[in-house]
Amino acid sequence: MAGYATTRHHPAQGGGKDRITDYHTTLFRRLTWEGTVPLEVRVDSKELPANSNRGLECYYVQAPRVSYLPLLMPEIRRYLMDVVFDEAAASNLKEEDWWFETEEGTLLKWHWPIGLIYDNHTISVSVRAAASHRPASQSLPLRIILHLVSPPTEKLMLAPSPEACKQAFMGQLKEADFIRWGNTKRITGLRKAEQDGIWESIKEHNFDEYWRIASKVTPSATPAPSVGSPGNTSMHVRPPSIDAGGVPEKDSAYTVRCVPVRIYLPDGPFIQELVPPLLEDGSPHSLYHFLSTHLPLLFPPRPNLPVSSRVNPTAQTSTDLAYALVQGVVSPPEAEIAWLGACLTGADGWLNICIGLNRT
Amino acid sequence: MTQPPHDTEETTNEKLDAQDASPTVKAIKALESYRKKEPLKIVVRFKAVGNAPIMKQNFYKINSTNRFQAVIQFLRRELGWQASEPLFTYINLAFSPAPDDTVSNLFKMFATDGHLIVNYSTTAAWG
Repeated sequence: MAGYATTRHHPAQGGGKDRITDYHTTLFRRLTWEGTVPLEVRVDSKELPANSNRGLECYYVQAPRVSYLPLLMPEIRRYLMDVVFDEAAASNLKEEDWWFETEEGTLLKWHWPIGLIYDNHTISVSVRAAASHRPASQSLPLRIILHLVSPPTEKLMLAPSPEACKQAFMGQLKEADFIRWGNTKRITGLRKAEQDGIWESIKEHNFDEYWRIASKVTPSATPAPSVGSPGNTSMHVRPPSIDAGGVPEKDSAYTVRCVPVRIYLPDGPFIQELVPPLLEDGSPHSLYHFLSTHLPLLFPPRPNLPVSSRVNPTAQTSTDLAYALVQGVVSPPEAEIAWLGACLTGADGWLNICIGLNRT
Repeated sequence: MTQPPHDTEETTNEKLDAQDASPTVKAIKALESYRKKEPLKIVVRFKAVGNAPIMKQNFYKINSTNRFQAVIQFLRRELGWQASEPLFTYINLAFSPAPDDTVSNLFKMFATDGHLIVNYSTTAAWG
C-alpha cells in the first residue's frame, strides 16, 4: 500500500500523468467506498417486548461508511423478527417509531453518513480519554441502542424513512455542488434516472454504478496545468475556459471555487468555512494550513514551515494538540484539501474532517 | 424582531484546574472556546416561490447559533402553516440545507448582499 499512499502529483513526468492520477483517484475512492465500521445494535432492554429471546437482542454489523441508518433498518428488522421477537411483538413493530442513540446518550441523526457517526464517536471518546488519561478504545464496535418507541422527533429532524433520508442526501449533493461551482447545474443537469441511481447505488452499495454517475458531478483530482508553480498568483481564480467548455469531466478539484468541507469538533458543533483549493500564492491549500488558520489553538501555526513546502515528511511535530480524521484515517498535515475533496469525500460530496484530541 | 427559540447545545463540562497548563487542559480549553462563539444577529430574507403565501414582513434578524430547522419552524409559525401542510425551503433558489446546519454556517457560505436568502415553496421546486 505504501507505494500508492501519496497525494503528490508529478506534473513534470508528462505523458502518463493523467492515467496514474486516475488510478490513484479510483483507488482512494474505492478505499473510501469499501470502508466499513463495526456496529453493535442493541434493543433498549426496557423496551424489549414480552417473550423476547433475551440474550440475543444484539445485532452486529460491519456497516458501510457511505451508508445511512435508515438503510440498515430492514436488515435489523429482519434479525429481530427472525431471532428475538415472538409473533405478537413482531406484528407490533413500527419502524416509524425507531430511533438510535449511543450508549452515552448521543442521538444518531438519520441524515448523517454512518462513517461520520462513527468518527464523531471516536473523537468524542478521545476527549474523555484525554481528560481521564485513559486509553481510548477505538477498535471496539460502536455500541448503539435501538429504541422502539417515543422518538424525539424534534431533535432527530427527519422521519426515519429512506425517502426522507434520500431527500436530505440530494440536498447535500446540491449544496456541495453549489459550494464548488456557485450553482447546482451539474446535479440538476443529471437525468431523473441518474439522480435516483445515485441513491440506489448507495442502497445497493454498488461502487461502479455510483461513480458512473458521480464522476459527472465530482471534480477530478488532476491538478490544473500550472498548479503549484511558485509565483503564479492568478491560479486561484477559475480559468474562464471552464465555464465556456462546460465539460464536467474536465473539471479539476484545483479549479473549484471552494471545497465543501465541514469540521466536526468533539461533542459539537460543526463548522463550515469557505475553503479555496489554492492559496493566494497559487500553492495548494494544505490540510495543515486550513486547520492552523481556523483552529490555531489546537494546531498552532509553525512559523518555520515554508508555505510551499509540500514535500516535508517530518512535518508531524509534537505541537499539535489534536489530529484530523478523514474517513476514519488520521490525515497527514500536508494533504491537499483539493485532493481530499476529490478522493476522500463521502457519497454526498462532502469532505468531513473530525477533530480528535491527541493523548499526552 | 421575532426570534425562534434557541437550540441548546449539549456540552460536557469538565472540571479543570485553571492553573494546570498541561497539553490536555489546553486542548480541552481550546475546544470550549471554539464551542462558545458569540451569537450574532443575521438578517434572513424570506422569499416566496410559486404560489406560496407572501409574508407581510420578509426581513428578520435571527440568532446565528440557531439551526436551520429553527428557521423552518419560525417560518411555519409566521405563515400559520400546519405541520401536515408541505413547505419546502431552499437557499439561493438552489438547494435545501441540512436541518442541523447553523444559520451562522449558512450565512458564512451563502450570504447575498449581507442577507441569507431563504426561498419557500408549497411544492418541491429544486428537486
